[in-house]
Amino acid sequence: MSSQALFSSLVLIALLPLLSALVATVIPASHRWITPLASSLLLALASILSLLLSISQWNEPTLVWEKTWFTLGESTVTAGILLNNTTLVLLSVVTFISFMVHLFSIGYMAGDKGEQRYYSILGFFTFAMLGLVLADNLLLLFVFWELVGFSSYMLIGHWREKDAATAAAKKAFIINRIADLGFIIALLIIWGHTGSFSLTSFNFEEQEAWRTGAALCLLLAVMGKSAQLPFFNWLSSAMEGPTPVSALIHAATMVVAGVFLLIRVFPLFTPLALDVVVIIGSSTAVLGALAALHQFDFKKILAYSTISQLGLLVAAVGTGAYGVALLHLLTHAFFKAGLFLGAGAVIHSLHQAQHSSHVHFDVQDIRNLGGLRKEMPITFFCFSICAAALAGLPLFSGFQSKDAILVSVFSWSGDQVWRQAFAWTIVITSVLTIFYTVRMLWFVFFEEAKKTALLTIQEVPTIMRIPLVLLSLGSLWWMVAFHPLDFSGWLLDSIQPNQEHNLFITWLSLISIPTLTVLAFLWFKYRKKPTTLGFLQEGYYLDYLNSLLVTKPILAMSTVSERIDKKGLDGIIHGFAYLTVGLAHLLAWVDKNIVDGLVDASGRLAKGFGSIARSFSGGQIQSYIFWSVFALVISLFWFLFY
Amino acid sequence: MHEYLLSLLIFLPLIGALIVLVLPAGTFYGRSIALLIALLQGLVFIFILAAYDTSLTGLQLAERARWISLAMGTWGEVRADYFVALDGLSLPLVGLSVFIFIIATISSWKVEKSRKGYFALLLVLNAAVMGTFCAQDFLLFYLFFEFMLLPMFFLIGIWGGARREYASIKFFLYTLLGSILILIVMIALLLSTKSSNDTGTVVHSFSITDMTNSANILSQSVLDPQRGLELFGISVRVWAFIFLFIGFGIKLPMVPLHTWLPDAHVEAPTAISVLLAALLLKIGGYGLLRITYPLFPDAAMQLSWLVALFGVISIIYGALAAMASKDLKRLIAYSSVSHMGFVLLGVASVTTEGAAGAVYQMVSHGVISAMLFLLVGVLYDRTHDRMIENYSGLSSKMPVYFSYTLLAFFASLGLPGFSGFMAEVMVFLGAFKSNGVNGLIHESFAIVATLGLVLGAAYYLWTLQRMFFGKYHFKSSTENTSLVDLDQREILMLLPLALITIAFGIFPQLLLNFINPFADSFTETVLQTGKAIQAIIRP
Repeated sequence: MSSQALFSSLVLIALLPLLSALVATVIPASHRWITPLASSLLLALASILSLLLSISQWNEPTLVWEKTWFTLGESTVTAGILLNNTTLVLLSVVTFISFMVHLFSIGYMAGDKGEQRYYSILGFFTFAMLGLVLADNLLLLFVFWELVGFSSYMLIGHWREKDAATAAAKKAFIINRIADLGFIIALLIIWGHTGSFSLTSFNFEEQEAWRTGAALCLLLAVMGKSAQLPFFNWLSSAMEGPTPVSALIHAATMVVAGVFLLIRVFPLFTPLALDVVVIIGSSTAVLGALAALHQFDFKKILAYSTISQLGLLVAAVGTGAYGVALLHLLTHAFFKAGLFLGAGAVIHSLHQAQHSSHVHFDVQDIRNLGGLRKEMPITFFCFSICAAALAGLPLFSGFQSKDAILVSVFSWSGDQVWRQAFAWTIVITSVLTIFYTVRMLWFVFFEEAKKTALLTIQEVPTIMRIPLVLLSLGSLWWMVAFHPLDFSGWLLDSIQPNQEHNLFITWLSLISIPTLTVLAFLWFKYRKKPTTLGFLQEGYYLDYLNSLLVTKPILAMSTVSERIDKKGLDGIIHGFAYLTVGLAHLLAWVDKNIVDGLVDASGRLAKGFGSIARSFSGGQIQSYIFWSVFALVISLFWFLFY
Repeated sequence: MHEYLLSLLIFLPLIGALIVLVLPAGTFYGRSIALLIALLQGLVFIFILAAYDTSLTGLQLAERARWISLAMGTWGEVRADYFVALDGLSLPLVGLSVFIFIIATISSWKVEKSRKGYFALLLVLNAAVMGTFCAQDFLLFYLFFEFMLLPMFFLIGIWGGARREYASIKFFLYTLLGSILILIVMIALLLSTKSSNDTGTVVHSFSITDMTNSANILSQSVLDPQRGLELFGISVRVWAFIFLFIGFGIKLPMVPLHTWLPDAHVEAPTAISVLLAALLLKIGGYGLLRITYPLFPDAAMQLSWLVALFGVISIIYGALAAMASKDLKRLIAYSSVSHMGFVLLGVASVTTEGAAGAVYQMVSHGVISAMLFLLVGVLYDRTHDRMIENYSGLSSKMPVYFSYTLLAFFASLGLPGFSGFMAEVMVFLGAFKSNGVNGLIHESFAIVATLGLVLGAAYYLWTLQRMFFGKYHFKSSTENTSLVDLDQREILMLLPLALITIAFGIFPQLLLNFINPFADSFTETVLQTGKAIQAIIRP
């Protein structure tokens, strides 16, 4: 394909979802039934195009198209597309999962008040996500990075009348915004020291401290977007949004944007920064898994599981195995989207059943569910495949990608004790993953029906089954390699070939994971009562800490600043004003009583003198004579004595 | 025709004002004439754009005529010219003014109270704003600058809300104080500079171009750096810089000189709020870039950190105060304080990015704040209530209104794709780079300023959550029939603003074409002249 044609088709792929968003906005409400179909069709087109393009462009040399975006003085900022294997993987994953979610939404969102708005933002999200994947420089990437955050805000808060949903939307946006300060500062450092926003070369001229600083700032942004410690509480609240949205944005695509960014700017990271990456990733992984084990909300289990898996991805990049991270990103996208859509199918059919039977209970609380494997066999089957992939059972894609992560983590740790501690954290996470997966499966599908027994439950319609089946097919081993136990396949060999193998780890996993799965089943079958720790159920009280350490101080500061304004600054101004007015009154008084008084006094004085003088010319002859004599006497004295 | 374009722009509204005054009172002609004049100005501006050459640096479309010329014997001659011209700083702001005046006229369409006076004053204000941005002679600039006060005082004081008199007097006094400081410096400058092209006698010219050239400083004058006159241990030149900084800082407004702004905004009628936020505040930033920095670059290099500090304080403090506001209009007024802080920070960096970002931010804030104040006006027209807590769930009742509000809020909080983001990024880039390039301000200023982005997101999203989401409810009454969605006139005002902020957000080069030459020459002039003068002071 010629370069120009390739460029055009990439732009077309990115614009198709935007077109879908436009279509959903302009279709009149009377024809709203067209919206889901048109949107899904456009996404199908985008997905097929991406797949074809990816196959034809696979392993071709990296291509860059760029044009001047704007100039600032001497420097030029470009905008363009960077195409390599990583881009192709993400391009296909995003369009495919988005297409699946669109299909699923046809059933799930049918009859929703804001259906058109939903599709338009879903389309916009897909566009923004594709832009993020294609962007050839950091500034452009950041533009789309924020736009996906905006779409996430709109979709989490899709049900605007639900207070919990709008609060969760706000929380997600603001927490991400805090983390994004890291992105902005990284942009500043990179621009200030290299004079460009390039994604591939970082010419820091021996200024390692700034380089590490930039890397750590970017890591901060990644920790927000990819829900790492200590920012992950937004993701569990984000579950207030529609479930297909959780599948697309909060499992398969947007949250992995952080990991994608790490892979893109991998050359920026110094060894020190990479160590921090591993520490953050592995801690998040184990904490997420622990919390997942203590949730009762169906979607929150999946949310914490996502947090934990994202931790694995981040840790994998930190060990230097960014190819492995991309591999797990791919497998995780499929099985986690499948799990979320499976959960959505359960929620949807239970809601439908509740409508017809007028029995109401929280359908997301797994303690109310049970026995659904009989009523919803297809959902159960697909869900189980995806769950097996999540737990890492052999023959499923998760086995290979997790094996790859374990191998890379242990090869990173070497003999250093502290590194081995973090490597073992990953192992513990894998074990915990098996347990919470089995626990979820057990409660929802296996245990005897509880409140669900009151309902007549039907399997979801075909349009919702198709994505489930396709995603579960994508969770099988052949997604990674033909050999079910080998992680070196089409993807890893092209992205980061020659990954070390460790047969000991592979064989140990092969034996221990199925064993642990069986043990877990037995544990949940024969345990007495479900126990949980509030500390873990509440997600380490991060919400509480948030409000204590961030929200409340800021609100207090804002009240103080308002008071300074009203009492302090305006007080001074008013003080001045009163002083001036007071002074003016004083002057007026002085004017009236003293100045005017003086004038009056001088007037009176003049009057007095006048009356004296006047009295000289009173017209009386006696006084004339008296004054004449008086004057004469005085002049006589004068002449005589001087 | 080129020679008279700018005069046409300035005097058209004055002619319009005369016509409005001559017309009988009580008719609707006033508003039509005001709109016609505004549209004609739009036409003139298109001609200006066509005649303007973006590849050139410096002033273009200049018009110069002898205005005042006083022979003062041996001391020389005092000369002020009618000198108007445009460069990369003036042109975007003139364009913004033309555009905003059209919008403001449409927004005033339903003014009932003494229409004739209102539209006459609006036109006078129009002329004064255009004049301020075009004038290249300090006296002329000062004249227009002062002349803006008069119509503004009456527009707030007569057509305003409940506490309009308080607000208008506060506005007037604050601004007057600033003007006096500027006046003092202007006189000192007149005494200390001469014109470049004088023959024989010394010509004391008010031309800003002449004043900018450090070769024109008269030796042994008040502001002569070699003489090194000091007042309270601080150089007179530094005092002059501080006076100008405060004078324009009040207009900007910068914390802690900002308290006139929330009151003026809350009391002003919608169209006047729009003009105030979109145009009048920009004169503060314009003054910094046109006068304060180029005329006293040596002091600027000493005190840039202080300017940046006030910028950062304004950003953070404005955002915090916005968060505590219960009145929607007050919230937006404080957000203006916060956003104008970026202008200070950008100017203080004296880098191409920072200066370009400052101008960009002025234009961007002009458009976005106009949109925000119009939106508040829409709500106030319907319910006469601006208290955030009295509303809930408006998005279901007024979906179109909600969409525009959403757009305006996200534009204002700096979402990429809108002009505000571009401006803020440029300012940050400049402020961060400054330490490495010219050593004026430390990197930490930029880093602390980024906190403003989080606070901005917080107060806007919180407002959205409180007013627009949840179940619909207005005060305690269950149903309010007056809450209807936007009408066509309102969309006519809001849509162009929305499109412009998006266009400038995606294609920054549209504006940077004009700004870049200015930003380059500004940075170069300030740094070079500043260093040259500092070398004189401390050889």
